[in-house]
Amino acid sequence: MSKLTNLWLRLEPLLAAAERPARYLNHEFGCVRKDDADFRFCMVYPDTYELGQANQALRILVNAVNAAEHLAAERAFLPAPAFCDTLRAEGIPLFSLESCAPVAEFDAVGITLPHELAAANVLETLDLAGIPLHADKRAEDDPLVLGGGPCAFNPEPYAPFFDAISIGEGEEAVPEALALIRRLRQEGAPRAAILRALAQTPGWYVPSLYRWRSEEEAQAAGLWIEPLEDGLPERIEKRLYEGFSASSGWEPCIVPFTEVVHDRLNVEILRGCARGCRFCQAGMMYRPVRERTADNVVNSVLAGLAATGYDEVSLTSLSSTDHSQIAQILTRLNRALDGKGVRISVPSQRLDAFGVDMAGLVAGQKKGGLTFAPEAGTQRLRDVINKNVTEDDLFGAIDAAFAAGWRRCKLYFMIGLPTETDDDIKGIASLAQRAYDRAKAAVAPEQRGSVRVSVSVALFVPKAQTPFQWDGQIAPEEALRRVDLLRRSVKYKAVDVHWHDPSTSFVEAVMSRGGREAAQWVEGAWRRGARFDAWTECFNEEAWREAAAACGIDPAAVAQTAWPTDRVMPWAHISTGVSERFLARERRLAQEGRTTPDCTFGRCTACGACPDLGAENQLAAPRTPSGAHAADAADEGRCEEGEARDA
Amino acid sequence: MPDPNLFRLRVEFCKQGRLALLSHLEVARALERAVRRADLPFAVSQGFSPHMKIAFGAALPVGVGSTCEVFDLQMTRYVPPERALAALQDASVDDLMPHACRYIGPRDAAASVAYPVAAYRALLSRAPEGGLVLPAEVRVVRKKKEKVLRTADFLVSGPQVEGAVASFELEAKPDGSLRPDVLLRACLDAWNEAHSADGEDGPLRALSLTRVSQRAAR
Repeated sequence: MSKLTNLWLRLEPLLAAAERPARYLNHEFGCVRKDDADFRFCMVYPDTYELGQANQALRILVNAVNAAEHLAAERAFLPAPAFCDTLRAEGIPLFSLESCAPVAEFDAVGITLPHELAAANVLETLDLAGIPLHADKRAEDDPLVLGGGPCAFNPEPYAPFFDAISIGEGEEAVPEALALIRRLRQEGAPRAAILRALAQTPGWYVPSLYRWRSEEEAQAAGLWIEPLEDGLPERIEKRLYEGFSASSGWEPCIVPFTEVVHDRLNVEILRGCARGCRFCQAGMMYRPVRERTADNVVNSVLAGLAATGYDEVSLTSLSSTDHSQIAQILTRLNRALDGKGVRISVPSQRLDAFGVDMAGLVAGQKKGGLTFAPEAGTQRLRDVINKNVTEDDLFGAIDAAFAAGWRRCKLYFMIGLPTETDDDIKGIASLAQRAYDRAKAAVAPEQRGSVRVSVSVALFVPKAQTPFQWDGQIAPEEALRRVDLLRRSVKYKAVDVHWHDPSTSFVEAVMSRGGREAAQWVEGAWRRGARFDAWTECFNEEAWREAAAACGIDPAAVAQTAWPTDRVMPWAHISTGVSERFLARERRLAQEGRTTPDCTFGRCTACGACPDLGAENQLAAPRTPSGAHAADAADEGRCEEGEARDA
Repeated sequence: MPDPNLFRLRVEFCKQGRLALLSHLEVARALERAVRRADLPFAVSQGFSPHMKIAFGAALPVGVGSTCEVFDLQMTRYVPPERALAALQDASVDDLMPHACRYIGPRDAAASVAYPVAAYRALLSRAPEGGLVLPAEVRVVRKKKEKVLRTADFLVSGPQVEGAVASFELEAKPDGSLRPDVLLRACLDAWNEAHSADGEDGPLRALSLTRVSQRAAR
């Protein structure tokens, strides 16, 4: 294998003038060099170091690849926009941190797709690296460009840019695929043969081996893709890391110098969420639910803090307070960490008094704000989206929080949810104002002046692989009208309303629902200057609008059309394990305003994930229902507790 | 005043190589994490937001290295200084490495004010023909306001030039200080302007700037 070029001496003189040079230095505590490997993989997060270094996928995959024989993994991030320009002006390509080597010199490059607004940055990454943007233009000695992450569940808008895309959890899938590529390369296999072999590997999708059908053909065939040769799978099912529960919650991590988002020890305590919110892609895509045991979590936290020196640990997951042993975990950690000045944080607060009790266990003296997500303003609409939270749950949470000493509370809502009417918008105002009244009543009279409730609204984005995938987004102008209605409906001065720019949510919806033709739109927008779209100050709406006109796609139709559930969607060939039948049934129940309970608290809802993926929920202990779950469980006579099994 | 029941450990460390590009805040966070990894019995403040009782010396600008930085750590029990040093070294990265530890008294001046005079050494891209002259005044922008600092108010000695190495000493004043990198840049700018006709070797540049000693004012 040829030696990697070291760009450091060319880079160093530019750093003094760069904003936050610590982004580009490497040499952090915990970074790994594996010089004896003969196959090099570069894992790229398509945004800056501050956003990417904290990313869980990046940490997991770099560790997993480095743990494999012969394989070495390095990290790369996009420089900040101004420094991207500096590098271009100096003729320096995108580089990895560990070897400061051109990304294009690696054998394989992985780019994670964390959210829909990173699409243009994928092209910025490839271009800055000097790698041909299109997979079919890459030569034998160009790296294989691999994608993965949440957006891979609708891979089509990215399809032309990737040689292969990993669907699902990569702990095992990525090192296996790299080992396969290494072996084939050593045998002298050409690129085409490697791609064919990857396409036959479970969990890998190779877009170039499939023809993209027309709308008419796709609806008739039941699939948008047509294999170009025999022996290729027509459906790609996600990979599931079955060893998750048993694996340690602590694994080596890098301790950054410069402040990054979530700059703390992150211990993933459970994966998956079966609450079944019908808008939520994560809730569908990480099933089944798998918990790490309290012993595992506590030991992992203590080992991780000792090894990294962090003064904060976050117990991460999609719904950490749903962990069956969360009270035990927090009590044990409090005892073990007493007097060490370590903060424990629990993201994604469960919306009931129990959730607040758990937050109280770790808050100590310092009680900033609590965030709750009722998502919709009326019970009718909460039933439509299957939020399974009642007003009583919210008010119980508010009572408990303000009695326990919190003074600020943020409420998250979505607007534009399917079936939403103006009454639902007014319902948000009403709910927030009544929450404020409850909060004030729970606080001593002399402190009532400090009570604050804020309302944050974002535009609903219909996501692929969810029951609402067939539903359209409302137009940005209509979103602004509803925001305005909400603002006029809020009469209390102490309740402020914040909202998110609907034009970025519009791009998200197109990226989430688009087919392969959306890739042209991304490329056109990037060529017109779109990049770092997730940064409010960088979002270039003009570029996206002009690109749509130029490539002749109608993004509004992609984002806003509502379809019947028998329409074949552009991601029909990608499976999260959750069946299309389940999604269609959930959408029907939504329209009827009927809810579906969480299977980790009650009986199986037949989503299909468990039998299809050959796994099932793995709970560390039976979950105890509270709030709305208690009612569900009571309805069902709390029948299925036997389903929970020890991990 | 520091709690007399606590042990004050003064740690000397270097900031070098590419880590000279870290900011003061980044260095502070890295050291605090090294102390935690070293498992030293650090004291934790009481109250609203408990934190480690650690205090840092005078800030170094981004891009300026040092062989002689200090921080003070308050500890709840005595650890032999050589053991504390060994533990810190095991927990540190090469270019931010502690090299000495000693205990100081409860009334000794804090790290941030104990050593107002610092000596700097600049490695230049070549020996400056005709020597270097420091500008009498340096314009700086602070909080969007331009301010003129008189070099003589801060300069203790220098600049001495030996080959391509220039040395000077600056003293921090209670109401402000002159940044060594800003002074050096102004000095090099003036030299380059005066020697623009020479052209051939390109402008004179600083390859590195390092704080090489710190001491109390005489």
